[in-house]
This record gives sequence, C-alpha cells and structure tokens, in this order.
Amino acid sequence: MTGTRILSAFALSAALLWTGSASALTQEEIGNLQGPDRQKILEDGARKEGKVTIYSGMIVDQALRPITEAFMKKYPYIKAEYWRADSNKIVQKILAEARAKSIVADVAESTSLSEPLIKANVVLPFNSPQLDSYPADYRDPRRLWGPTRFSYFGVAYNTNLVKPADAPKSYEDLLDPKWKGKLAWREGSDSGNLLFITNAIMDMGEQKADAYFQKLAQQKIVNFTGSARTLVNNVMSGEYPMALNIFLHHPVISAQKGAPVAALPLQPVPSLNGTVLFVKGAPNPHAAMLLIDYMLSKEGQATLEAADYLPAHPDASTSPALASIIPKKAGLKENFITPQKLFELNDKAEGALNKYFKN
Amino acid sequence: MSSAPQTSLGATAPGGARRFAGFGVSPLVAVLIAVLLVFLVPPTIYLIQTSLYTTNFDGSFDQFTFRYYVELFTNPRFFNNLVNACVYAIGSAAVALTLGVLQAWIVERTNTPLRHYVFLISIISLGIPSVLYTVSFLLILGKAGPVNQALMWLTDSSVPIINVYSMWGMVIVEGIDFAPLTFLLLSSVFRSNDASFEEASMMSGAGISQTFRHITLRLATPGIMALLILIFIRAFESFETPALVGRPGNVHVLTTQIYDSIQRTVPANYGQAGAFSIALMAIVIGLLLWYNRLSRNAEKYQTITGKGFRPRVMDLGKWRWLTCAMLVLMFVIMIGLPVGIVVYASFLPYYEGVTAKSFTLFTTANYMQVFNSASFKGSIGNTLILGAATASLVCPFTALCAWLAARRHRGAWLLDQLATMPLIFPAIVMGVAFLNVFLHMPFAFYGTLLSVILASMVRYLPYGMRYSYAGVLQVHRELEEASALSGARQSTTFLRVVVPLITPALITCWLFVFLLSVKAVAAQILLVGPKSQIIAVTLFDLWENGQVTELAAMGVTWMTLMTVVSTTFYLIARRYGLAIR
Repeated sequence: MTGTRILSAFALSAALLWTGSASALTQEEIGNLQGPDRQKILEDGARKEGKVTIYSGMIVDQALRPITEAFMKKYPYIKAEYWRADSNKIVQKILAEARAKSIVADVAESTSLSEPLIKANVVLPFNSPQLDSYPADYRDPRRLWGPTRFSYFGVAYNTNLVKPADAPKSYEDLLDPKWKGKLAWREGSDSGNLLFITNAIMDMGEQKADAYFQKLAQQKIVNFTGSARTLVNNVMSGEYPMALNIFLHHPVISAQKGAPVAALPLQPVPSLNGTVLFVKGAPNPHAAMLLIDYMLSKEGQATLEAADYLPAHPDASTSPALASIIPKKAGLKENFITPQKLFELNDKAEGALNKYFKN
Repeated sequence: MSSAPQTSLGATAPGGARRFAGFGVSPLVAVLIAVLLVFLVPPTIYLIQTSLYTTNFDGSFDQFTFRYYVELFTNPRFFNNLVNACVYAIGSAAVALTLGVLQAWIVERTNTPLRHYVFLISIISLGIPSVLYTVSFLLILGKAGPVNQALMWLTDSSVPIINVYSMWGMVIVEGIDFAPLTFLLLSSVFRSNDASFEEASMMSGAGISQTFRHITLRLATPGIMALLILIFIRAFESFETPALVGRPGNVHVLTTQIYDSIQRTVPANYGQAGAFSIALMAIVIGLLLWYNRLSRNAEKYQTITGKGFRPRVMDLGKWRWLTCAMLVLMFVIMIGLPVGIVVYASFLPYYEGVTAKSFTLFTTANYMQVFNSASFKGSIGNTLILGAATASLVCPFTALCAWLAARRHRGAWLLDQLATMPLIFPAIVMGVAFLNVFLHMPFAFYGTLLSVILASMVRYLPYGMRYSYAGVLQVHRELEEASALSGARQSTTFLRVVVPLITPALITCWLFVFLLSVKAVAAQILLVGPKSQIIAVTLFDLWENGQVTELAAMGVTWMTLMTVVSTTFYLIARRYGLAIR
C-alpha cells in the first residue's frame, strides 16, 4: 500500500518535471506543499494560470490596490484582480459561487469572515512558510487561515464640530444627552455595531450591557449602511459629528492629510485580526498560494504598514502615527476578540441590536 | 418606415386559423405562453420554497416549516415596514406624477418655448443610474451639503436644519428619480389625445386650466391610472433609495428588511426574506387585479380612430413664459443640481461639502484612475450589451403579446397576465429567486452576463408590456378590420398596419427598457460576478466602499456616454416621429 503511494508520488513528481504541468496536483496538495521545491512548483503553476482573484475587505485606494500592485511587480506574469466588499457580502458571494460550482475567488481576505467560510466548508487548509514567523496565538491550529492585519475599533469625530475636550472619555459618556442624534455606527456588519455590542457584552456582562443598551438606544444612533471607511468620510464632511466603532486607523490616515477628524479609542478597545483564506475550488490555486505567501510575508506586510494599516507580522513595524491607537503602545486596555469568539456571540449581539436599535 | 420589428416578428406572426383542439388556443398563443412559463415558474417555485424551508449554512434547503409566516404576523416590524412602504410609495408616486403630468402637458399640448428639449433631457436623466442620482441628492441635501449650508447661514444656526435621511427625503429623491419616466410614459398618452376635444372645450368658453382638468386630464385618465399603479409598485419594491436614504435614518421598508435578511446576516435568513416577499407579492397582486379592472374599460378612451386624427398644441398666449420658467426650474432641480454636484465631486481628492477651499484642490486624479482601470472598460461593455439585449428581447415580444391580448385572442389574456407577472416580484426578490435558479443549474451559469440578461429581460417584460399595450389600445380595431376586409391575412395586418402604427411606442419602449435595465441595481447586484460587472453595481460598491470621488468620476464618464446614446436615439425617434405625423 505504502509502496504504491510512494510510487505514485514518484510518478507525480516525475510527470511534473517532464511536462512542467501543474494540473497533476490537486488543490489540497498545492495548499499543503512543503519543502524546497514548493516555490518553484507554485511559480511554474502560476505562470500557466496567469492570474489570481482576491475578494477582500481592505479599502481599495488605501491598501488593496497597493498590495496587489506590489504583488504584480514581484510576479509580473500574474495579473491580480480584486473585488472589494464588506465581510458579509464576501461570504455570501463565495457561498453562492460554491453552490453554483463556479468559483471565481482564489483568495478571501477580511476581518470577521473566516468562521462563516470555515463553517460552510468552502475553504481549504494551507501551509505557508511565512506562517513560521508568527507567534502561535496569531495562527489557526487548523491551518485554515493566516493573520494579515490587526484592527482596533473606537470613535471618530469631526474636529470642527466637537472640541477634543468635549469628546467622550468612556462608554458611559456616550449616554450624555448632548450626543443625542449626533452618533452614527455601521449597520449590519460584524465589525460595525455588532462588534460594539459584542464588546460591551464581554466587558460588562450580559445584564449590565442590556441596561446600557437601553439607555444608549435613547441617543437615536444612525444605522449607517456603507463601509466603515465611508462612515469616516461622512464624519469628515460633517454629515455625522461622531461615529462609533470604526477602524481607528482610518481617521488617523485622513487626519494626516489634513482632514478635520480625530481617532478616539475607548476602553476596553475591541480588536480583531484580519485573516486570509484559501478558497476551495480556486481556479488559480498556485497563484493563490503565492498571493497568500506574499500577503503574509514581511515584504507584503510592509505595504500595509506604508498604507498605515496595522500589519500582523511580528517583525513589521507600524507607522509612528498609529501609536496612539494601538492599546499596547498607548497603555490602554484591549479586548482582543478571536474570530471564533466573535462568531459565537453573534446571535446575542444580533438579538440586542434588533431589540434596541432597529426601530 | 422601419422594417426592423417586422423581420423579427415575421417568423412568429399569427398564421391562419389553426386551433388547438379543445382549448381553441392558437399555436402562436400557446407557444408564447409556454415561453413565459419557462421563465416565470422556476423563480416562483423557488421563492415559495424559500419561505417554507429553513436553510443550511451554505444556503441549501433543510426542513419544512411555517415558522417564517408565523413570525411575519407576530413581528410588529412587519406592519411598521408595511406602513412605511405605503407612505413612501404614495408620496413618491404623487411627486413623480405631479412633475410628470405637468411636463407632459406642457410639452405635448402647449406651445411653450423650449418644450421640445424636455423630451431629450428626460431621456438623458433616465440614463443616470439610480445609485448615482440618489448619491447626488445625498450630497446636495445632506448635512454637509450646500442646501443645509445655505439654510444654516440664513438662520444663523450652528446645526444642520434639514435631515434628508428621513421619509420625506426618500419621497423627494424617489419622486424626482421617477419623474422623467413618468413624463416619457405620459407624453405618448397626451400626444395621442385628439385635439378636437380640447378645441371644442376652448370654443365653448372654458379656460386653459378648465380644459386641462376636464378634457385633457380626463382623456388621459387610463394612462395616468396605469402609471400611478406602475410607479406605486416601483416605489413599493424599490431598493436603492430606501437603502441609501431611509435606512440610515431608521426608516425601514419591506425591501430593506428583505435585503437585511439576505445580505447583512450571516448565515442569510432566506426564510424570512421569502415570507416577506410573499406578503409583498400578495399586496402587489391586489393592486394588479385592480389595474386590470381599470384597463378592461379602456376602449372608451380609444382616441386614434379611422377619423381624421390630428394632435395639435394649444396656444397659451403670454402664459407660455410661465410654463417655460417652470420647465427651466424643473430642469435645474432634476438635472442641473445633481449633475453639477457629481461633476464637482469628481474633481476633488476627497469630498467635504462645497467650500471655497475645495476649488483649490481640484485634480484629475479620479479620472486617471477610472480610465486606467481595465475593469471599468469591461463594465461599460457588459452594461451596453445588457441594455441592448434586454430591450431587443423585450420589445418585439411584448408588442406581439399586447396585440394578441388587446384583440382578445383566445387565451391571450393569459399572455397579458404572465408578461405582467414579474411586477409582483420586488427587484431584490427577483434577484434572489433567479440567483437560486442559476445556482441550481446543472452547468456553471451563475455570474455569467447571459444570466444577468435573462433575469433583466424577465424583470422588464411588464414595462415593455405596458408600453406596447398603451400603443395597441390606441389603435382602433376598425383599421385592422379594413385591412382584413381588403383581403389581408392576420399576419399581414399585424405587420403592415399595427406595427407601423405602434412603432413610435415601440421605439420609446426599446429606449426606455434599455435605460432602465442599465441603471438598475437591486436585481443585478446579487447576480453579477467579477466577470460580468456592470456600471450601476460598480457604482453601488464604490459608494459602500467610500470611494465617493472615484464614483463621481466614473459616474460622469458613464453619463456622458449615455447622453450620446440617448441623444442619438432622440434624433432618430424624432425624425421618425415627424415622418409619421
């Protein structure tokens, strides 16, 4: 039995050497490739595929376009295409493609999409030598995702409309009647109002959180439906004086360009990690693995750093401008919520959201 | 006269009196019914199934249940959303009709200066994708927009005065968005009114407004009623405006609830969406039955007869300058401001209201980004193919169906009913229904442009049908009887008498199905894949992704292209229309 297997493995690699054909490997095998040949096999395969498609939640002009362009510079024979959407939409899209058996996505990347995709069984485990540099807590024991970036969440406010001295200092301060009708948060996204609610439940406990939501509901928070970045843009334009639970690096990026907006972390600062996944049935599996490698590599992570995102790579530094929003550096209390935890608490958060904030 | 519709219809025109034994239905009618059923039955079955099954995580059906219906009636939000939807639909229908009737009357029945340009302008504005239109009004009326800035300056207030994220905001935006469509549909109704009635009224001493109310409006009543229902339904099931304007202000309607259940929840709550959709459909079916009762009496209003038909305009005297001013004002509100703000935003590095400082920041970077993007070029190609294919499939098909139905061919009432049936699907639900039809196909069909075209065709059948029907209804039977008496076969009569007479309606039908299908988002957003991206959906994604300035640049580019298309068609139609008169 073992003999046959070895033999067929031999035949396989021989076939590979002779024809250079990549089609002999299944997607599982490509994902699990190891050893010195790995890079060559992937590159040979990717050369034939010629393209790769990523669905990602990264903002196009900030990070997604720069990182795919940098990737194409490294591998000029691969055309990297992207489709940007919020996590939930990416999940729905990939589930639909899987059911229709016409998968377009090779790679999926975002904050809070890994658990639904894993549960729906539409992703495959993979090996990337790059993962070795990451500490164990940043890695998935099932090898189904790799960490791409961190996101810290908090308040963004318009500095023309709110004086820094008047800004809230705690979650309790948000209940002040002066904020009534002035707050907005992102509706229907795991990293939007659901994360705010999840964070409060984890921090205060269910009962206290419930009382808190009841009071917070009096503030008539606007349920904003675009992306978190759009919400911050609306704060900058003065549409909403203050937004809750946005990605804190967004206002920092804009404030550097002179926009009238400031980032304000409230304790505990909820944080999530972005994940990259290998889509089952990916039409371009070799190129997909190269892209995953690249996104996890120090080099790829540097593009995120240059974009003022928060790279997950332990050796990658973050831009000094972001020091004030990284809890560890700013000495703030952090609540790191793993993808699994976020998913577990989803129903509870959804319940509170429907009960208090949707009428 | 054009021969295009003739050749496409020639193959299927009613030939002879062969009947299916027992039913007495002609083979042609039977074939058309079969075609419609193929397109309508699968999505309908899927939708019903959805509301009766729990779904697995991957979206496949699990267990049979009635719980979604029970939830429907125990959920206060359902009734709340229902009331909102009604208020919103009535409000926007009122706004659209007021603007549309006024425009149609001024343009078709009076000698107001500049009136001929309204037609062109309306067609151009019809080419603006709803998303872009809605976004432009949010930029104008939003808290940071010029209207609020002006009001704050006037009232010396430090906080914004008006909040567009509200019911009235939805009504205004949707009403204005629908006005051009209303105008285009009404103009043919007003145009075909025999002027002799109005002249008689004027000669009997009635004034302009009296004549308008008692003669012009009355004669146009069936057309207006049909439109009212059409717009009401369109607004009732519309998605873009409630999603972009209403939801941020916590004003929910049925469609946004459906969207929430499907797109914003993981895993998607298809059951709830299904039950909501079925309830929504039940309401719409009621409206359609009412509509049918109205149109049954339509013969009373036939105005193109064998007797000297001559539409003519009314001389308003010096009042024509007032009506001219009204047209200009409407133009500024409906086109000038929205286009202006989008053009303005397209030159900015980031949008932050209209300020003096902004003008110093002007850049062409957004346009560079758009023109260098391969996916944008792909989107343009896909969108043009989508619109042309949809219109070319819908118009000849519905013309034939409408004629057969209007002439009471046996079984043809069913054609009318079936071709109108897609109206009972809200666009977003039709998207879900077709999505799942395509997902269940034995071969990979989901995400292809062809799949989007098919869904779009079914979706716009009713619009083609209404347009063709209105055209056919105005042709009195006596012209066809004359043709038959002269020895022409039925097919010859249809091609040589009916088609030429309804050609103006068919051309407008083609153009407006084209424009509607390229600007729609709600049904398509669930169907397109990265390989079949279309402009309207790309714009929606850009708005959600916060790329407002790139959205504006892309929108301006697309509007320019559509203006060229529309103007060309306008010129063709006008030349053709003149030839007919």
